[in-house]
Amino acid sequence: MSASSLRSFEYLEGLPGTTFNRLYKQPSTALAIFRRMLPHLAKSFVMALLYISHPMPVTDLEAWVRPDGRRERDNAVNLLERLHILAAASNPGKPRAYALTNPFAASLRLALTGGGNHNSFGVPYNMTEEESMSIAELDGFARRQWEGVLGYMVGSTGMNVASDGVTLSQGVKMLLASGGLVEVRGRTVEITKDGFAFILQEVNAQVWTMLILYLQNAESLNMDEVDVLAFLFMLGSLELGLPYSKANLSQTQTNMLEDLGDFGIVYQASPDSSYFYPTRLATTLTSDAGGLRSSSLASSGDSSRGFIVIETNYRVYAYTSSNLQIAILQLFARLITRYPNMVAGKVTRESIRRAVSMGITSDQIISYLTTHAHPQMAKNQPVLPPTVVDQIRLWQLEGDRMKATVGFLFKDFNTQAEFEAPCRYAEEIGVLVWKHEGQRKFFVTRHEQVAAYLRNKSGKGG
Amino acid sequence: MNAVDGSDHYNKTSDGKWHPQPPPSLLTIILDTNPHAWALLSSTLPLSVAIANLLVFINAHLAFNNSNKVAIIASHTQRAEFLYPIPSQGDLVQANGSTHNGAQHGLDGNEAPTADDANHYRPFRHIQTTLLSAISKLYKATTPESLTPTTSIAGALTLALTYINKQSIALSSTTSSKTNADPLVVPSDPNSVQPATLNPRILILSVSGDLAHQYIPIMNTIFACQRLTIPIDICKIAGDSVFLQQASDATHGTYIALTHPRGLLQYFMLGFLPDQSSRKYLVSPTAVGVDFRAACFCHRKVVDVGFVCSICLSIFCSPPEGAECLTCGTHLRLGEYGGKPAVLAKRKKKRKKGTDE
Repeated sequence: MSASSLRSFEYLEGLPGTTFNRLYKQPSTALAIFRRMLPHLAKSFVMALLYISHPMPVTDLEAWVRPDGRRERDNAVNLLERLHILAAASNPGKPRAYALTNPFAASLRLALTGGGNHNSFGVPYNMTEEESMSIAELDGFARRQWEGVLGYMVGSTGMNVASDGVTLSQGVKMLLASGGLVEVRGRTVEITKDGFAFILQEVNAQVWTMLILYLQNAESLNMDEVDVLAFLFMLGSLELGLPYSKANLSQTQTNMLEDLGDFGIVYQASPDSSYFYPTRLATTLTSDAGGLRSSSLASSGDSSRGFIVIETNYRVYAYTSSNLQIAILQLFARLITRYPNMVAGKVTRESIRRAVSMGITSDQIISYLTTHAHPQMAKNQPVLPPTVVDQIRLWQLEGDRMKATVGFLFKDFNTQAEFEAPCRYAEEIGVLVWKHEGQRKFFVTRHEQVAAYLRNKSGKGG
Repeated sequence: MNAVDGSDHYNKTSDGKWHPQPPPSLLTIILDTNPHAWALLSSTLPLSVAIANLLVFINAHLAFNNSNKVAIIASHTQRAEFLYPIPSQGDLVQANGSTHNGAQHGLDGNEAPTADDANHYRPFRHIQTTLLSAISKLYKATTPESLTPTTSIAGALTLALTYINKQSIALSSTTSSKTNADPLVVPSDPNSVQPATLNPRILILSVSGDLAHQYIPIMNTIFACQRLTIPIDICKIAGDSVFLQQASDATHGTYIALTHPRGLLQYFMLGFLPDQSSRKYLVSPTAVGVDFRAACFCHRKVVDVGFVCSICLSIFCSPPEGAECLTCGTHLRLGEYGGKPAVLAKRKKKRKKGTDE
């Protein structure tokens, strides 16, 4: 599971069962959850059970899976139950049997066969040729908006990122601040540790993170959670490059269009127009991350997806002219020269240490380098040179030499004997962390017993 | 040196993290459209019902993964034809020259302006309309003269293999690089295509038997599939299919002979839907007793015991005329041919002895 779907999982699993029931009424939602959220084996189970009239006995399902696939089977069944897709019914006199829960099964069947009157796959809008937008234009729009959001965050680090004239709406800025990705201090904006982690993710994961922030804020804006989620899943099932009508959207969903436009997820000519276009960011919401990575959005400026080459001598070459990508790269690499289509630099101990001190982990750096590896590099197995990966990890570990322990310090003992007795006692009960005989100080993780011991002693003495 | 190379764990962690989804799978369905055979089945499973079931199955396959692909090939009485995707005119023109990019464009670009329906997922509806119109076109073009009791499975298998090859080249070139303007990218080499990028498989819906006259081309495609690790799944609705059993057996595919043709969809969903990545964990149905008989090269008869040329391994049901191999022309010596009755006589004697004692 990729990071993005994990994140959306955690959110979905927290929803109450009734919300699921309402969500699954939309065929597009059922299809999107089936496609995006389920592991591969779970999909096979769902499909096998979809057109069976009677529940499938547990033993039958177990017999279908090979003995060495038991762990995968348990994982799949467990997840299906948590998402309220599969339910084990145990009728008296009959063996325990699995069946799909109803709103989900009915919706998925509708999605597969078509029909019904739910309009959940978007109503296309008829328009003349000259008005329509090309896919390239939509991609350009989506990229501009999304990089505007990222640029707003990165720009706060003091690196000069031209924002390409994109002005972010107040809503987006508030969302970033309330999600803890940036901190607004007066007029300056500072990126947080979470913000750095966010920047280094894949686009798809970033979009999901942002949308879940949006969902969490939805209630405070008087928006219905289910309405919002259903709309997001519907967006995922639309086709790129086609206009869709706004006629049958609910009020909440029409409001959402405006906010999503700020992220570049949908495009509408003006808030009053009667149609909207989903961009690539929207249509790949419910597809696997690979679909998006191969799109032109993952990197900017050039059309190939990866642009970073890193050699075993820690030199980094990035074929990009995007200020945003250069700024991100600068977070953890020392850039030396810049050419019209390429920057060259080096990953050094200082640059990694600086990144770590800003809250970026070595894993994030490595994952960023891997996802944006140049096609020529991506052919290698493993993609990144192992020495570089190891060294980046080691550089981070250097900083982890200190370990903080919460506890209590005892000091100011009058005599050596007075110090030694409780110190020995603390050591015996296993709470002593550190002691210094000369200064007569010692440090414990729990103080209650030691304090009682001292009280007893002083009571006896005096 | 590999033993001391500690890069193993990088592969593992990166695989776990960066390739969470199994590779997209390409399902190539070969639909036997022989009108004779379907007419015989009309009481239990009419063609229209079978196609409706097939469409749901295709949609389910596409629902598995956003990048899953499907192709449907009709194996008709005398020819094989693509039902989906339909090669467009532009594609046919380019087929003579370099087809590399033209194919992709042509196959996707034939979107017919269909009645828009918000209740149907667009890609699903697209396939439905294309498939239905292609089938009706195919049947309209069928004349009574062209009717034979057989079907051109070999041609359809060959088409399927070419399509699979084309798609895996297209996929690997899009994943590695799109532009040659990039200074470090060398033009992708078709030979360097890794089979892991696409999970292809072939499903044959067989209704008619008597494939013996296509024995050699069928076996050739089977061996090609075996080499490319493409499983051939067989869904036998009717008819006798010696070689199709061998096909699924040799390529580790699924073989199901339908006992209740009305439950076609459930057979599809349970047996044929899981792709290679799920089949690792599942017990898939296979034929128990595989019929390994071969067809002779001279009369296309299925034989239990035959004659094999010692040079080229051609099979004959009876010694060829003049004892010359029809394939390689080698003059064969039959040796003590005709000694067969004598062997039988010996056996009889033994048995007699056994019964006597």
